[in-house]
Amino acid sequence: MSEPILEMRGISKSFAGVRALRDVSFRCQAGLVYGLVGENGAGKSTLMKILAGAYKADAGAIIYKGRPRHAASTGEIIASGISIIYQELALVPQMSAAENIFLGREPRNAIGILDLGQLHARSQELLSRLGVALDTRLPVGELTIAQQQLVEIAKALSQDADLIVMDEPSAILAGSELDQLFDIIAALKAQGVTIVYISHRLEEVFRIADEVTVLKDGEVVDSRPIGQLDRHTLVRSMVGRSLDEVFPQTDHEQGDLVLAAEDIATDTILDGVSLRLHAGEILGIAGMVGSGRTELARALFGADPLTRGEVRLAGKSLQWQTPSQAIRAGVALVPEDRKSQGLFTALSVRNNITISILSRISRLGILRRGQEDKVVSAARQRLSIVMTSPEQETQTLSGGNQQKVVLAKWLETAPAVIILDEPTRGVDVGAKFEIYKLMRQLNDRGLAIIMISSELPEIIGMSDRILVMNGGRVAGELAGEAVDEERIIKLATLGGAEAQSA
Amino acid sequence: MNGLGGIMSGQPQARARFLRRNGHVIMVYAFILLLVAIGATQSERFLTERNLANVARQSAFLGIVALGQMLVILTAGIDLSVGSLVKVSILVSAIVMNGESANVVPAILATLALGALVGLIHGFLINELRIAPFIVTLASLVILKGIGLTISSSPVGKASREVMMFYVQTVGPLPVIALMFFALALLTMLLLRYTVFGKHLVAVGGSVEVARLSGVPIKRTRYGVYVICSLTAALTGLLWLSRMGVGDPAIGDGIELQAITAVIIGGTSLFGGRASVLGTLGGVLLLGITANLLVMLGVSQFIQGLIQGLIIVAAVALYKQEGD
Repeated sequence: MSEPILEMRGISKSFAGVRALRDVSFRCQAGLVYGLVGENGAGKSTLMKILAGAYKADAGAIIYKGRPRHAASTGEIIASGISIIYQELALVPQMSAAENIFLGREPRNAIGILDLGQLHARSQELLSRLGVALDTRLPVGELTIAQQQLVEIAKALSQDADLIVMDEPSAILAGSELDQLFDIIAALKAQGVTIVYISHRLEEVFRIADEVTVLKDGEVVDSRPIGQLDRHTLVRSMVGRSLDEVFPQTDHEQGDLVLAAEDIATDTILDGVSLRLHAGEILGIAGMVGSGRTELARALFGADPLTRGEVRLAGKSLQWQTPSQAIRAGVALVPEDRKSQGLFTALSVRNNITISILSRISRLGILRRGQEDKVVSAARQRLSIVMTSPEQETQTLSGGNQQKVVLAKWLETAPAVIILDEPTRGVDVGAKFEIYKLMRQLNDRGLAIIMISSELPEIIGMSDRILVMNGGRVAGELAGEAVDEERIIKLATLGGAEAQSA
Repeated sequence: MNGLGGIMSGQPQARARFLRRNGHVIMVYAFILLLVAIGATQSERFLTERNLANVARQSAFLGIVALGQMLVILTAGIDLSVGSLVKVSILVSAIVMNGESANVVPAILATLALGALVGLIHGFLINELRIAPFIVTLASLVILKGIGLTISSSPVGKASREVMMFYVQTVGPLPVIALMFFALALLTMLLLRYTVFGKHLVAVGGSVEVARLSGVPIKRTRYGVYVICSLTAALTGLLWLSRMGVGDPAIGDGIELQAITAVIIGGTSLFGGRASVLGTLGGVLLLGITANLLVMLGVSQFIQGLIQGLIIVAAVALYKQEGD
């Protein structure tokens, strides 16, 4: 075996007395792809932040390219060839793609003035190495998420990185975008770049990783070549629960028709969608990012006014213009991006849960603290939200617990229909299981659920019926025996008519 | 898909994007034209060379401070102290100069050094002690004002003859002071467009976290921008000396708010990450022309304040509509 390019030895780290990592060792050979998996809070991001120099380890050593690395600044670490692509993309939205790629290392001419020609030419070249063409002068805030991620990768390449860490890159990509990313990873690997790939999605790890390391509660519980692993052992070592138990099934009766949409369209891509939803049912909406899934949710929630068609709730025709009308009628939307749309991250768990029902728990405009306490502690128990106290700021919770707080808030409004847009994005496997279980419990209580998801196993495992969207329309509906991954992918990528002829 | 296809496809989209990004600036200038039209029809004196030169000169005073303020706001900061610093600067320069030609250079150097020192202190408190810019500069607003009034509560010192002449000098029809402001505006534009420091200002204001992870020297950038902002205030103090001829302690009050107003009218985001020199220039001219026009039309001073307030609200409201 050749010298490892990176060796992290005996790394330990605590935050305010809470242990995040204990005696973690992790080594990488040059030119291989390493999968780093584990539940949220298992310590993956902490480990990588220590590598990036954002945190300082309490104990342990980092040996990089054969030399021990001591305290170094972010700039020095980048210069040494380590690049981290964070889950929350680290780009300045107001700056152009080219400016972002070379941020902190701008090309200058002889007298120290920014060399704009070089800046754009070199950015174009990097992006074309990745097989993408985009205008490097556009502010990245105007690019799609997938394009932004490509800009991030170009940034890493521009730093001549020998080691690129990708923190949950697939959390924001779908379908063909993901394939493109894997092609790029393969190409980088062929060039001798080492990749550390952090993901919750095991199928991806199996697709690209050469070696897998599993972290659990801040410790390495397993680390071996991919050939010696299968999905079951991997899941078991991550959560201590086997795969079959992940999607809970219940035998509930399908109830009355609750929500019906007839040929609805809005000013977005959404163009003539009809659907029916029954009490106690989970309707899965599959499709690529940009297929109109999110737009459908927004239309049903009154966030985008209908330009055509009709929505009926419990038989009554509704023409709501605003979300607050939808909420009063009994529809709730748990949005995809919980940090910007679902949570007041700087407010406490208590404030977040009761924000929509303040009038119910107050008298003459004065909050009744006792009532509020009751609501919060009931929600905490029912959803098993892990928190130090109801006063804890939600931004300090894990992804899974944040999602539970958002759910709790909506459940307090006693909806008849709840729309979940990517309910388990950025949520670890253990918390996923709890959210699934909760969805079934809500079903049993007669709640109708629409679930939008990019994760096929989740859509297939949880949905009673599946609508596949393509180009703002329903490409097909699948239920029971007809449901399989291949059919969904065909419908989502080819659209209805073509998929049938294909 | 809203992917590559959308970006690559043609002209109309590019035009729409141009309008979306610059619509605000265009509106500010359209409003200025409207004011000029009103002035031209309602007052005989408005369109005279003499009056326009006056507007340009007076705008320069506000404009130079506004440029510095804009750069600070671009980094998601704010500098409330510039008005008080203008006051201290005019006093210090007048006292050092004391009417002697030989003292002009020392007076200028002393004043600029004072500005740089104040900027460094702001940078230190914000960078090293992590106090919010609003608090730091609010404190220094009060402190500098106190220092100014301690130095003297009545006019002191004296400008030299050349310095007093500087105020009325022109190149063709244009006052030198106005030219100086336009030159500084151009320089700021170039700074933002062509220098690494300019890009770092945007990065720090756009997202400190991203800037940090990209290895941008955040502290140095902040030191730099607060020093520049204080220097613009010191320079403005010198220009006021040239206009007043003496160190008048009444000068400076409220300039900071005027400058912030001009910057905001110009479409610069108070949250940082986006600034427009042309917009700030427009904001400065808009305020300058409004004030001049109201005087021309004989409107009371108090109504002037009211109208300025309405302009701010209108500008920001329009800006918000655009953002949607």
